[in-house]
Formats: sequence, structure tokens, C-alpha cells
Amino acid sequence: MTLEDLQELSEKEQQRQSEKKHRILYCSAAGCVSCGSDKVSAALKAKVKEHALEKECEVVGTGCLGLCGEGPLVKVQSDNTLYQNVDVRSAEQIIESHIVNNKKVTSKLTDTSSPFFSSQTKIVLENCGEINSESIDEYIGAHGYQALAKAVNEMQPSGVIEEIRKSGLRGRGGAGYSTGLKWGIVSKAHGDQKYVVCNADEGDPGAFMDRSVLEGDPHRVLEGMAIAGYAVGATQGYVYCRAEYPLAIERLKLAIKQAEKMGLLGNRILESQFNFRIDIRIGAGAFVCGEETALLQSIEGKRGNPKPRPPYPSEKGLWGMPTLINNVESFANIAPIIRNGSDWFSKIGTEKSKGTKVFALAGNIRNTGLIEVPMGIPLRKIIFDIGGGTTEGTEFKAAQTGGPSGGCIPAEHLDLPVDYESLSTVGSIMGSGGLIVMDSTSKMVEVAKFFMQFCMDESCGKCIPCRVGTRHIYGLLDKISKKKATQDDMVLLEELCMMVKETSLCGLGQSAPNPVLSTLRFFRKEYEELLQPVETYHGEPGVVADFEK
Amino acid sequence: MAKITIDGKELDADPKLTIIQAARQHGIHIPHFCWHPKLSVSGNCRMCLVEVEKMPKLAIACATQVAEGMIVRTNNERVIKARNSVMEFLLINHPLDCPICDEAGECKLQDYSYKYSVGYSRFDENKVHKPKRVELGPRIVLDDERCIMCSRCIRFADEIAHQPVLIFTERGTHVVLRTFPHTVLDNPYSMNVIDLCPVGALTSKDFRFKSRVWEMANTESICTGCARGCNINIWTRNNEILRLTPRLNEDVNSYWMCDHGRLGTFKFVNSDNRIKTPMIRKEEALMEVNWDEAISQVASDLRSYKKSEIAGLGSAYATNEDNYVFRRLMKGVIGTKFVDVVPHVKEGDEDQLLIRADKTPNAVGAAAVGVTSVDASTGLEAILNGISSGAIKVLYVLEDNIAADPRVASVLSELDLLIVHSYEHNETTKLASVVLSASTYAEKNGTMTNFQRRVQRIRPAVATLEADRALGGFSMSRWDKFASPNDRWGKGPRRDARPSWRIVSGIANALGAKFKYNAVEEVFKDLAEKVEIFKGLSYAKIGNRGIALTTENVPTSLIPA
Repeated sequence: MTLEDLQELSEKEQQRQSEKKHRILYCSAAGCVSCGSDKVSAALKAKVKEHALEKECEVVGTGCLGLCGEGPLVKVQSDNTLYQNVDVRSAEQIIESHIVNNKKVTSKLTDTSSPFFSSQTKIVLENCGEINSESIDEYIGAHGYQALAKAVNEMQPSGVIEEIRKSGLRGRGGAGYSTGLKWGIVSKAHGDQKYVVCNADEGDPGAFMDRSVLEGDPHRVLEGMAIAGYAVGATQGYVYCRAEYPLAIERLKLAIKQAEKMGLLGNRILESQFNFRIDIRIGAGAFVCGEETALLQSIEGKRGNPKPRPPYPSEKGLWGMPTLINNVESFANIAPIIRNGSDWFSKIGTEKSKGTKVFALAGNIRNTGLIEVPMGIPLRKIIFDIGGGTTEGTEFKAAQTGGPSGGCIPAEHLDLPVDYESLSTVGSIMGSGGLIVMDSTSKMVEVAKFFMQFCMDESCGKCIPCRVGTRHIYGLLDKISKKKATQDDMVLLEELCMMVKETSLCGLGQSAPNPVLSTLRFFRKEYEELLQPVETYHGEPGVVADFEK
Repeated sequence: MAKITIDGKELDADPKLTIIQAARQHGIHIPHFCWHPKLSVSGNCRMCLVEVEKMPKLAIACATQVAEGMIVRTNNERVIKARNSVMEFLLINHPLDCPICDEAGECKLQDYSYKYSVGYSRFDENKVHKPKRVELGPRIVLDDERCIMCSRCIRFADEIAHQPVLIFTERGTHVVLRTFPHTVLDNPYSMNVIDLCPVGALTSKDFRFKSRVWEMANTESICTGCARGCNINIWTRNNEILRLTPRLNEDVNSYWMCDHGRLGTFKFVNSDNRIKTPMIRKEEALMEVNWDEAISQVASDLRSYKKSEIAGLGSAYATNEDNYVFRRLMKGVIGTKFVDVVPHVKEGDEDQLLIRADKTPNAVGAAAVGVTSVDASTGLEAILNGISSGAIKVLYVLEDNIAADPRVASVLSELDLLIVHSYEHNETTKLASVVLSASTYAEKNGTMTNFQRRVQRIRPAVATLEADRALGGFSMSRWDKFASPNDRWGKGPRRDARPSWRIVSGIANALGAKFKYNAVEEVFKDLAEKVEIFKGLSYAKIGNRGIALTTENVPTSLIPA
């Protein structure tokens, strides 16, 4: 396979698709699968067969179409019609009425001119809802692997790194470290063997961006990893995916097999001297394995516990060798940057935060689902325009970003631009992209307690502040929520939070108190309302906090 | 060298070092639990947090490398506050059962609680409960509640003992230390994890609940389990050895000792099987006699034989001093040329860390002072052949159960006279005509020379009848010092045993020689004057850590592999 072959294949595939009168795409991502898109697809296919439309009409599974709360979703690509809440009966109607009789099924139509669709900018998700997620041909038809071909045939590794650096891409796992700088460090590090690792251990409650990318467009991630391998001088890549994502793992396996068969992974990629293999490693259910040093331990077959940094993985990672670790979404951005150039990418977003960010909207919001927006977009626009605001009859109270490491952003900061720096000024973080909306029915102490219980349960137990501190922060929150606490407990709570933040070993422990600190910052009144006056309450002897669920 | 400042003190530090190492080199102690000089850095206990200027967060001194111009504060308000929190966190779930804990008195957590903790807890929640008696291996019991998850034991098993069987399981406060399924912590060095454990989580099955550590006296000595001569402390109470622990010596054993040395080399000292007084065989039975009778009997016996009929076997278990005086008696006073030492080498029973195939502590020393034969015609085989043929009628054996070897035992019955120095009743004493009760390594002063030709001190930890703890300069516990006659401690059995050099001197003098040794120091002084390779050495020079013989004069052929 050469670059010319690839272009030829791409044109052939585009030609093939254009010859179809109708391409009907049903969402085959986990969200829609869980509400019955399998049955929908079977019904669509059966009807197509019944009407003998197989030649002019194809039915294919595609990646996440975004509006997850209204699934299963079906899209008729030829006239860009989207149907929501499709069941078997309406699937049959789509064929019989829309395809055969050219009459749209109005009861299930989605308004694609709404801000949910028009306000998004899609780079990472550009193929989701457009191509068959299990077909390498369709990925190639959408210019897939051309960036890899360009990199290995036309660019020096240093040139690739420079291009990524200039693009301004920052780590999409949440911390926002410059991707180009990280690649540069790994490429300069000395080691007999280097590794590229894709962190697909997405564990934040309410986050499903990476899952959607892997399920909908796995080749994009593989291509990004291969380009990274070429740039830093690695020949082996690992995707570390959590076991809770069986569909993503299945699609990745298929994609790796397809790419290897076509010479896009393996030895002498695209007839160059570059060799790169990718293997999958499956997690065993520990949230902490999303922390990079713990993740590497887990790949090595050890207990997934974090290690102190330095040494950073970029110098001493997997089996002591220089290792590049990026998140799924970061890798998904690589191919478009190489294909379209860093200038194109850096025009999107803000001065310090370039490109787009995928968010998973969840909580008390009308449009639950997956969105991709340019960096710098105001939070208000995400929640009220794209998300459609809170559910019927309730008032917006706060948005939680960054999962258990993040914080709650109240209404007064709704005009905050969504970028790495702005979010940290209000005590939250960009995080990997979970965005949970809370309305006036949410109790903030309960919210903090929920996240603290998550951190307590998921603490690996290696370092003492996180192991014991999270348990006791949870204990104090429990005490407060049960109206058994006094002002003294509040003082203790805040001090405990500061100490866990200051003394914990890894990012998890250091950020575990954030949900408490940020709710304290903006919703202190809700805490104080639950306190007992010191004079009247003397506490119960013996058991005070109940740690059992 | 990098110039760094720790707590206002300017220091030169090797930039390869971490802050904790550099500080340690300059005598600044940064508190820590999980860090250990010989183990990889884990960074989990958070006790060594220090403030480094220009770093936004507190840094752990164990994992932060020194850099030029670095300014470190180990004791400012921020650091103290963090440290107090770490201590508070650690103590929240700790059972605080110090009154029944073996570690109390030598516990890092206890010590640091006094030094670095505020002294009270603000939490009154229930503690997490965990298993109290978990058998990790045949010699080690774990109390999960005491464990602070420092992971030192895990790293030791992995990195030093090369038996990576330990691991934490579960998460959060439910974490417990376990062995992998179907494995046990059973390796030749397993018990070092007990010393490494900063708390009382890992305890020795053998020593568990035997004694509070402050009730014991500890004596610096060396292990006699093999030719390594690991530096140890002998812990005694009631004139009885209760445990041995390794003592740091980077040139010999670092921080470690093997389980065999720890458990297998002291129990005979306490044993009921000890020989309590000299004994002479009268009408088939060994009868207890006093020293004067025993010595004059031996002297008159020896006088009645020709020197060519007498042979002597020194001992690789005895000290340099014992062997030196023995050589003077045999070769100088009696004048026999049949003198040698029985080797005790277990081929293959050795490893890369400490354990040597030569199971004696002083084979090199015995050779160095001239006891070991360099001539096959006067060596062990020649002696055994001489006994078989009847040419040799008398054998004098120093501190060695030579009859444990059945081949030797069968020959010994041919002898007219078998004189034996022994600690305990054994195969050789059964055949002996005279048994002289010898002090063990734990009851005398002296030196041993290990396989590296390093001369090291042994010191008495257990008093015999001839010695007094206070006058003899023994290491003393409070019980030793202050126990009154009606206390049950401070008594313990005392045997009428003597160091071999004193017994041999007595015999030599009874034979008309003039050995003027009143104390072991005088023997060593004489030895250091007469034996070339010991020239210039003294007990003071040997010190606590030993000293390597600089010359290569010990013939290699004499040093067992």
C-alpha cells in the first residue's frame, strides 16, 4: 500500500457510496444499542430486503449521533434526515414511507437546524454519524490514513512533532499539557524501545466521550497513535481500555485487524521503514488506572497503583522505557491536524486553548448526549443552546465539570468561556469532558458526598492521605447531611480537604477534595443550613459516621 | 556537586541523590516510613514531605532529586502541618495496641508520634477492622490492623530476596497485605521484613510476645551460622538469648541476615543440653568435676603419651584467640605436628546475597593463626589414618562435634584418650574421656575472620559463672542493672563454662608452660605480635564493624570455598 493506492481506494469508496441512492445510518454506539438499535437495524434491513432495495440502498451502523437521550437514532444520509426514538415500527415506516414513497416520518423527525446541531464544530466526531464504524474502507473513503501516509512519506519525525506543537493541541485527558511538547520529550528520551499508550480508561461518572470515539471511529485513534509512534520513535502501541467498554474493545480489535491486513499497521507501514504494532490491554475495574503511572503498572501486569513523578513516563514509563501517553480524544485530533495543517487547527478555539472539546452532557439537562464545541464557547451556550437548558420547570443551579477531580460551576459563572485556564479560575477543571448539569432540586452537600464516596471507594490505598482522608471527608459530609454536624466539623472538613490536596501522592488524591471545596466555595449556605448549633448538640457517643452503603 | 540549602544550612550534595539521601549524609533526619536506603522509592507514606523553594506543592524528599541552588525546608510551619496531618491520618485506623505490641519501643510510628504528632486525634469514628493473625509464611505472622501500607516488605521480597510473593489487595482503607494465591512468604531471608516493618504488623513467630524490647540487653556481635559473619545484635533477658537481629555493616551484610542465622544459631546457647561443668569419664560415665581436677587430669594424661601419639583438631567455630592458644599448646608445648581443622562446607548451599557454603564462622582465622594443616601428611586424613592404625592414641578437639560425621565417629572409638571442648552434649562428647565445658560465641570476647578476611569482634551477651555482667562490661538492660533478688528477671541459668583459650592456657601451664594470659585482650595482643598478618591490629582498631586483613598471607588453599 502506498499513498497513491490509498487515494485511489478513497476515491473508489466515495464513488461506491455516491452510487447508493440511500445510505441509512443507524447509531450503533453503546447508548443506542442499549435502547434497542439492534432491533431497529434488523427491522430496517428486513424492510430493505422486502422491497428489494439492496442495490440502491444500504443500511449501516455508525458512531454516536449525539442526541443520546433520544435514541435509538437513525439518519438518512442522502437528505440529511435524522429520526429519534426509533422503534421497530417506526423503522419500518422509515423504509416504507421515506425511502419508498419519499415521505418523511414526521412523528420521529429531529430538528437538525436546532442549536444542538448548528452550534457544534466537529473534528474528533466528524465521522460519527457519517461512516460505518466497522469498515476501514469507509474510513479511508473519509480521507482516513492519509495523514499517516503524509507523515511517514513526506515528513520527518521532528516535523510531525513541530506541526503538533504549532497546532496548540493540549492533552484532552483533562490536565491540558501541550501534546507537542510531550511528544518532543519522548522523542528526545533515550531508550532501546519506546511505547505509545492510549489512555482509554475513561472512568469519570457521567463521561462517555472516549467510548463514543472508540465505538464510532476506532481507526481515527489508531491512525493518531501510529503517527505518534512515527514521531517519537516507538514501534509498539497499547490501547488501555476499561473492561466496561466491551463494544469499544470489539471495534478496536476489528479495526486493528483490518489495518494490519492493509499494511497500515505492522511492519513497513505504507511501504516505509516504519514499523508499528498496536495491542489492546483491558483494565480490571479500577478508576485509579486512568492515572498514567497506575495505568502503566497495570499494563505491566502489576497492581494498578500510582508511582511518584518524576520520573515521568515520558522518560521512564512502560518497563522503564520512554512512553508517550495520550488520551483517546488527543489521538483522535492528530490525523486532522496533520492532514489539514496546524494553522487550520489553531484558528479554532482561544489563544491558549486550541481546537474543539467533546463533552458528554448529562444530569438535569434536556439534550443528554455527546457534543463537540470549539474551545472558548461560553458555558451558557453549551447548557442552554446546545443542551436546551434544564428539564421542565426547574432552574439551573450548577454545572459539574471534570468528574470527581473537578468542581461545580454556579449560575453566576455561566458566561465563562470553556477553556483550560478559565475553568481553573473558578475551582474546576476542564477534565476529560464530563459535564453534569444540576438544577434547583439538587442538594450540593449530597453532590459532594456522591463524588467523595466515589473517591473513597476508588482510592487505591497506596498513600495515607487519600486512603484515610477521603474516608473521613466522606464521614464528615455524611454527618453534615444527616444534620449531626457542628461548625467545628466544618472547620475540620475544610482543613482535611486542604491536607488531602496538599499531601496526596497522585492526581487523584490531590484533586479528590475538589468537589467539596468548590461546593463550599459557591454553596456554603447549603452546608451551614444543615449544621447544628454548638450549644444544643453534643453529639452521639460511639458511631457517628456510617460508612456502609 | 550541587550546592543546596537545607533548613538554612548550606551543603554540598551529589546531584544524583535525592533530598532525603543528601540530608542523611549530612546528619539531617527527615522522618519517613516507606523509604529505605536499600529499597526502591515508593513514595506512599507522605511523611518525608518537605518544602522546596519554587515548587508549588510540598515535595517528598525520598523522590525529589537534589539540584543546584535548591532550597529545602524540613521544619517550617507548612511542613509541620502536613506532617501532623499524615501522622493523624496514620493513627486514625491504627489499633494503638502498643501495650501488647512486639514493636513497641522500637516502633517508628510510636517514635514519630512523640516527635511529630500533635498528641491527640480529632476523629472519633470507629476504626477499620481487619484480620489480626495472618500467617504469611512459616516464620512470619501479620497483624493487618497495625499495617500502615508502607510496602517495604513487598519491595524487599521482590528486590532483595527475589521471591516476589507479597502484594496489597483490595482498595482504599480496606487494603490488606497478602501473598499471591498458592504462595507463602518462605525464602532464606524472609524474616528481614520484620526488621523492615516500621510498625508491629509483621512479627516473628519465634519471638512474638516473648519480651518487651526495653527489657532486653542488646550486644553487638556476629552471626556464626556461616563464613559471612553477618553483624548482629544479640538480645538477652534473664541471661537468655531471645532473638538475633541484623546490624548494619555495608562491607559484610548490609541491613540483612538470613533466617537460618537468625533462628538456628542461638537456641543451643539457652538449651538444657548445655554442658554445665567440666566432666571426666569414670567407669563408663561422665562425672562432673571442678576445673582444677579436670585440668590436672588432662595434663597428667597428656604427659603419659609420646608427642607423636597426640593429635589436635582446632575449630573453625572457635575464635582466632582460641585457635592461636590451641596451636601454641599443640605445636609449642606438646610438640606434635598432627594439628588440623575439620572443614564444614556444604557444597551448593550458598547464594549471591549472604549465605556461604562454608558453614563455619572462622575457617579463615583458624588457617591464619596456623592451626589448619598445610601438609597432607599431618592433616585430618593423616590423623584419622593414624588413629585407625593405632599410631595416634590421643586426640584433643576444640569446639567441634566431629563425631557427627559417622566416618569420623567410627575411628574415634580406637582412641585411648579423647579430650573435647564442647558447649553441649553431642555425638563427640558421648565418646569423650574428658569434656571441658566451653563458652559459646555468645559468652565470650574474641575475634573471628570471615571469608573476606575481615576480622570482626564477638562480645559476651550471656554470663557464665566466671563472668559478671557489670564487671565484665556486658551490655545491660534495666533488668540487668536494677532487678532485685526477688524479681524473676535478671537471674537465669549460668553455666560453669570457660572460653577455650583460658582452658587451653590452664592445661599448657599445668604441663609446665608459661602462658601468661589473664584476659582475652592479652591473647589478641600476643597474637597480633606473633602472627604476621594480624600485625598492628587491636580490639580498638577492629571496632564495631571489623577490619579487613590487608595482606594476602592466608594461603588460598586453606580457605574453604
